[in-house]
Parts: sequence; C-alpha cells; structure tokens
Amino acid sequence: MCCNENFQERNEGEKIQTTLDLNLISGMKFFDPHVHMTSRTTDDYQAMADAGIVALIEPAFWLGQPRTGVDSFTDYYSSLIGWERFRSSQFGIKHYCTIGLNSREANNEQLAEQVMEILPNFIFKEGVVGIGEIGFDDQTAAEEKYFRLQLDLALEAGLPVQIHTPHRDKKKGTQRSMDIAIEHGLAPHMVIIDHNNEETVKDVLDRGFYAAFTIYPFTKMGNERMVEVVKQYGSEKIMINSAADWGISDPLAVPKTAALMVQSGISVKDIELVSYGNAITAFGQSGQINENDFGTIKTVDQSQKFESNSILRGGQQPRIDKNSIIIS
Amino acid sequence: MSSSVKAQLNELNSIFLSILKKNLSSDAFAWLNDKADQVRTEERAIQLNQTFSQLPKHAGKSTLVVSEDDATAIAAMVPGFSLTDWSIDRLARVWLLMQVPIIDKDAYLKKINGLFVASEMNEQVALYAALPFYAYPEEWIVKAENGIRSNIGTVLEAIMYHNPFPATYLSENAFNQLVLKAFFTEKDVTRITGLYTRINKALQDTLSDYVAERTAAHRTVEPNIYQIIDYKTQTI
Repeated sequence: MCCNENFQERNEGEKIQTTLDLNLISGMKFFDPHVHMTSRTTDDYQAMADAGIVALIEPAFWLGQPRTGVDSFTDYYSSLIGWERFRSSQFGIKHYCTIGLNSREANNEQLAEQVMEILPNFIFKEGVVGIGEIGFDDQTAAEEKYFRLQLDLALEAGLPVQIHTPHRDKKKGTQRSMDIAIEHGLAPHMVIIDHNNEETVKDVLDRGFYAAFTIYPFTKMGNERMVEVVKQYGSEKIMINSAADWGISDPLAVPKTAALMVQSGISVKDIELVSYGNAITAFGQSGQINENDFGTIKTVDQSQKFESNSILRGGQQPRIDKNSIIIS
Repeated sequence: MSSSVKAQLNELNSIFLSILKKNLSSDAFAWLNDKADQVRTEERAIQLNQTFSQLPKHAGKSTLVVSEDDATAIAAMVPGFSLTDWSIDRLARVWLLMQVPIIDKDAYLKKINGLFVASEMNEQVALYAALPFYAYPEEWIVKAENGIRSNIGTVLEAIMYHNPFPATYLSENAFNQLVLKAFFTEKDVTRITGLYTRINKALQDTLSDYVAERTAAHRTVEPNIYQIIDYKTQTI
C-alpha cells in the first residue's frame, strides 16, 4: 500500500474531470487476479464491469492494522467467500479468492498458530482458487515458518500458491521464496510469484514459475514499463493485476494496461493472455474456475425478477447518473 | 420428534434422493451416497464439511428438473414448500444435511452450526433453505431471524421464498420484519409461504406508514402491499 503524505500538494493540484476513453479495448474481457475489493467502493465495481472485467481474485491480506484475535480472521475469510462475493455478483463480476495468513501478521506467532488451525475450514470452499497471498515482508524467522507451513498446506490440498514478494530487498526475497517453494516440493507451475519487476522477471520465468506484475502507481509497476516487459519477454506465464487496495491504486489497471498495449502494437493474442487467459490457466489448476460461470452469474443473481415485469429484485444494481447533481 | 414427523421426513428423504438420482450423473450420485454413508457414521464433522463444500464440483449448478408427480407429492407433504428455481447442488446439500445423525442433540447442533460459521455464499443459501428440515426446529429460530438481517439477496430469498419455516416458527415481530424487509429489498412477496396466515395489525400499521413514507418521497410502492394492508384478519 502506498503511504504518501503529500496530500496537500495532491489536493491542491488541478481537479481532473475527464472521461476515460477505453474504446481501444471495447469488447475485450479481463480477469484481475489480484485486487482487494474489501477496501473498494461499489462505484469501483461498476467501473470495472464497464471496462470489461468479468472475474477477479481477492487474495486474503492484512487490513491496514494488525488483528488481535482469531475471530477477526474467521470473519474476514468468511466475508471473502460470503458478502464480498455477493457484492461483486451484483455487478456481474465473478469473485474468487485466495486464503492465507499474510506475512506481516505471521509475526504475531501466538495468533498465527490459531489462524493456521482455522485455514482448513476455508481453503476447500467453492471459489477458493489458492493459498495466498503469503510470503515475505520483513523476511523474519516467523514469516518463514508460516510461509513454509502454508506451502505444505497448499501441496496437501492441491492448490496453487499466490506469493507476495517483499517491497524491501525484493530481489533476494523473491529468490528465497522460490527456493523454499521448490524445497517443499511444489511444482513451479503451481506457484504465482507476484509483484515482479524488471529485476526479478527473468529469474522467475527461467525457473518455470508464473510471473505476475502489479500495475500500481508510484510504488510498483507503471504500465508503460509493463508494455516493455511484454515486448521483451512475450506473454508466456506472465499476468498483470491491479492489487488495488486502500492506497492510491487503480482497480482499472488491467483494462488500462491492455489499452496501452493495443496502442503500442502488442498482438491481441498476447494481450488476451496477460490480461485474462494466463491467470485462468494458473489459478484454474485449483479446479475451481469455470469460464462458463462468468456469463451465468448475471442470470443466477438476477433470477429475482418478477415474472411479468422487469423491475430488478435485489440482483443487479440500478445505475445512477454520475454526471447529474440530482440524486433521486 | 413424533413418529409421524419422522415418517414424513423419511418419505421426503427418499423423494429428494430419487430426484437427485434423476438429476445427477451416475458417478456423482454414487459419490454423494458414499459420502452420505460416512456422514451418517462419523463422530466428527470432517466428511460433512468437505462434502458440503465440494458438492457443486460433483453435482453441478444447473437448475433442478422436478417431475410433476414429485412436485405434487412434495407440496402435499410439506405445504408451502417447493423446489422451484432450486439448483441441483442446493438440493444435494439440503439432502446431505438431512443425513446428519440427530440422536445426540448437542453434537447435531454443533455440526450444523459449524457449517454456518464458515459458510460460503451459496452454502448459506442451502443452509437457510434447509430450515424446515432440521431436527429441533425451535433451535433454528434465532438463526432464521439473523438470516433475515442479511443483505445478501439470495440468502433472503432462501428464507422468504417457498419456505414454511418462518410462518410456522417465527414470533410476530420477527415475521413482520421478514415481510418489511421483503418490501424494502423489492422481493416477490407473493412467494412468501404463509404470509396471509400471519397478517396482524402491527404489520398492517407499519406497512401503512411505509406507504406514506414512500409516497411523500415520490417513490413507487409495490402494489401487493395494499392487499396486505386491507386484508381482514379474524383477530382484527
């Protein structure tokens, strides 16, 4: 998450009131395999649906401050497979998640032990497509301990792993994460290494892991750099995500980057793979992703229509005119 | 549980099973039966939890096909209940819940409550749709009341639509909340089982206030509301 404190400068800048033009990618569909919708508004869901996002994965992470009891984790995991899934369905977006103990909170060992005990109650649920996001933050001994335990759990459950790589000391942290995954017997194709950059990508791909890139302003990848990465490394085993959360981030990062790729002359096939197909191939190894569900979710959750009229019944959200000052 | 209720549940159990047989592939049906055997005998809830979660993978989520004969038989046995709009996995889940041994009350409650705690959205739908078929019905009243507080549309419908539990067991206050919530969330109130048997003055007064409030705000009102407000009950 971004921690800039330059809000005065930011707020004093010119107010921007433009409409985003996504004509370049009109008709394309997208899969954002890393986005923390818990921290986003319903407006974001609407904008994502409008931009062509048909499905997403919400990895379990920390909530901006440390939790103090195991029940908070139970409620959080349960909201990922319950309430958040419903919220998403209202906009016709299929919501998946990965479940895991994040690295920061692994440092509270007493609590971490209790969280490990409840994980098996959630990882076998419908729509849970992996263990994640797990890995290193400060690269402490406790982080390593729970990273290893969760790799064993993933292996036992036959689930892919979504690995968060650290902001600080990223290159070494990434290599170490891969070494440990191999040591625990995970096949590289079952592991998605996240938050890559130009310095880590070659090693990750050479060793047969999936390489995910987070398009996130200021602190992670910019999408112009992403275009260059795809030009150099192609589209095999590469995927992009927004990792949008409470920071200054962008839930439209995937479609925007696809638009930039169209503009930059990258082939439609490569764009389709990095912004949709590869994520489905990787996380689909869980046996939990069915592309047919993307289309049917609308009819499932909109079945609440009255037989003879078209009033929506608790399903799809009605649309409001954002450009009107009238709120009715 | 009285012997007549028991006999009825047994009969329902076998109708559900025969509907499932017609809707499931032979592999999925065999898998489900094998798992149900384990659920009937296990002391802990491991098989129950796993089977309950994994069901859609095996059963699929298509809409259930129910023959007219079966539908008629079910309607006669459990008035107000129907399998309309149910998916295959939902019936399979509800049937599985009916296989949990009920003799040890505490163990039974613990197993079903455990499923609620870690339930995924569609699992919640099945858990609430099963309300009429749990043993110890009085133990599920609070659960049903909590379910009505949910904002998940499909969960509300599982409690409201073609489900005889609320009209049979909820207090006047709780049932009135269900009806109010149905209007607030624009549900099809004609599908609420037993609505007209539970109409009361407090409900009619609150609905009249609601109509006044909507009218003042220049918002529309669901026409069915007037039938309830004007309905003459014997106690009024």
